[in-house]
Amino acid sequence: MTKPTEKEITAIASAAGVPVETEVAARIANSLGPAFDSFAAIAGTLPFDLEPSTFALVQTERAAR
Amino acid sequence: MSTEPALMSLTAVASAIAEKRLSSREATQSCLDRIAKWQPHLNAFMAIEPDEALRAADAADAALAKGRRRGPLHGVPLAHKDMYYEEGRVVTCGSRIRRDFIATTTSTAVQRLKDAGTIRLGSLQMAEFAYGPTGHNAHFGPVHNPFAPDHITGGSSSGSGSAVAARLTFAALGSDTGGSIRMPAHFCGVTGLKTTVGRVSRAGAMPLSQSLDTVGPLARSAEDCAVLLGLMAGADPADPTAVAGLVPDYAAATAEPIKGLTIGVPGAFYVDDLDAEVASVLDATIATLKREGAKVVQVDLPDQRQLSGAAQLVLAVEAAAFHKRWMIERPQDYGAQVLMRLQNGLAISGVTYLETLRWRGPALAAHNAATAGVDAVIAPVSPVPAPTIAESDVGGGPGAEAVIQRLTCFTRPINYLGLPSLAIPSGFTRKGLPVGLQLIGRSFDEAKLLRIGAAFQRATDFHEKAPQLPLA
Repeated sequence: MTKPTEKEITAIASAAGVPVETEVAARIANSLGPAFDSFAAIAGTLPFDLEPSTFALVQTERAAR
Repeated sequence: MSTEPALMSLTAVASAIAEKRLSSREATQSCLDRIAKWQPHLNAFMAIEPDEALRAADAADAALAKGRRRGPLHGVPLAHKDMYYEEGRVVTCGSRIRRDFIATTTSTAVQRLKDAGTIRLGSLQMAEFAYGPTGHNAHFGPVHNPFAPDHITGGSSSGSGSAVAARLTFAALGSDTGGSIRMPAHFCGVTGLKTTVGRVSRAGAMPLSQSLDTVGPLARSAEDCAVLLGLMAGADPADPTAVAGLVPDYAAATAEPIKGLTIGVPGAFYVDDLDAEVASVLDATIATLKREGAKVVQVDLPDQRQLSGAAQLVLAVEAAAFHKRWMIERPQDYGAQVLMRLQNGLAISGVTYLETLRWRGPALAAHNAATAGVDAVIAPVSPVPAPTIAESDVGGGPGAEAVIQRLTCFTRPINYLGLPSLAIPSGFTRKGLPVGLQLIGRSFDEAKLLRIGAAFQRATDFHEKAPQLPLA
């Protein structure tokens, strides 16, 4: 996963129904860049069957021990 | 007993009222007297309600005289972060947008404390919509640190940290989505408990991120936090995410010694690039815990930067979704920094967002495996003591996100994992700024953290140091 470009951010924000100016898109790209970079090693690697609810299962499994 | 009732702990004042050694009116008046003196210096309260508070105190005293004790906190005056709904009350959420919002329900957490007998002093300042870690607020001004008024309190539970530290309220509710209880606890020298996701109902608490939001107390000691958690925790029909099952006796846990417990110290990340005085406090705290009988070992945690990045992405999307309507209709009514951070969520695709949520289970499992041999992990809350209000007043400028991420780098991974964490006052810098450390536990094992925190507080007096007027 790569961090989104200004152009991509402009498009995503528009699709979300909250259009942003070019300079705002540039600022967002800069702000979120480190977060995207940190998560890049995980994105696109997760097993097919993995659901978000696994989190609650892991929480309660551990607590039950 | 102290001659000034407001200086007593929550548990001590509750006992004094129950045993009729102190009236609720005396306790309430003592808090109101301190509020009158300190509020001009701190800006900790959003609303102060002296007449109502005294009427409620008189009613509590009258009920007690007739043998009707409402609960374990009968007649104890409290104030909470101004994001907990109370039916018929204005709840600003620290914002211009909700400046006149009147709640139509009462939050479960507050209701449970009211059912225990607490009365209301007013409401406490906070970061706008709980979206800021410093204590700045573009609409209501910054909250000031009682130990050094030109320094920040931390946020977003800024008023809670400041008011508890200055002994204006015996305790306060905060909320923690990215560090918002632990940061003010660290910077203001109070004890703050970020609860496990699912431990305390969030019904009637202003939402910021449904995956990360947690409700918890800031108080003067681990023992006080334990009492409050015991009253609030447990299932709630109004919040299906609140986990059912037996609620442990947290207060009893605080009396247990820590001999035989094992505490992990991270070998990296949480000990990297620390301010020298924070590092020194960490070392001293570890030494104290060893003297109290705990075994201390190094733990090698999974990559915390990945957790932090995931937390940031989840929070950005969920906050933007909650605020989308106002971002379209009322963008001019947000402070610059809050609007900027809300806009960040617009840049993240649905697939990326879901990947961050899907990874949460495996990430927690990896953390559990890495910490299988320890009862808790100890780490700084932040790499630095409280910066000044001026140097952290970055508004919506280009460097704002970097300042925010630097302050919160040690808290966000814990929010992503949904774990409990207890911030405890652990020392002071040479300049007199408090330094707090966090004890990070297993899911739903707040009892262990409170036990360790209480043992540490029996061996030290950092939590008992109250700031003094006049402020410098």
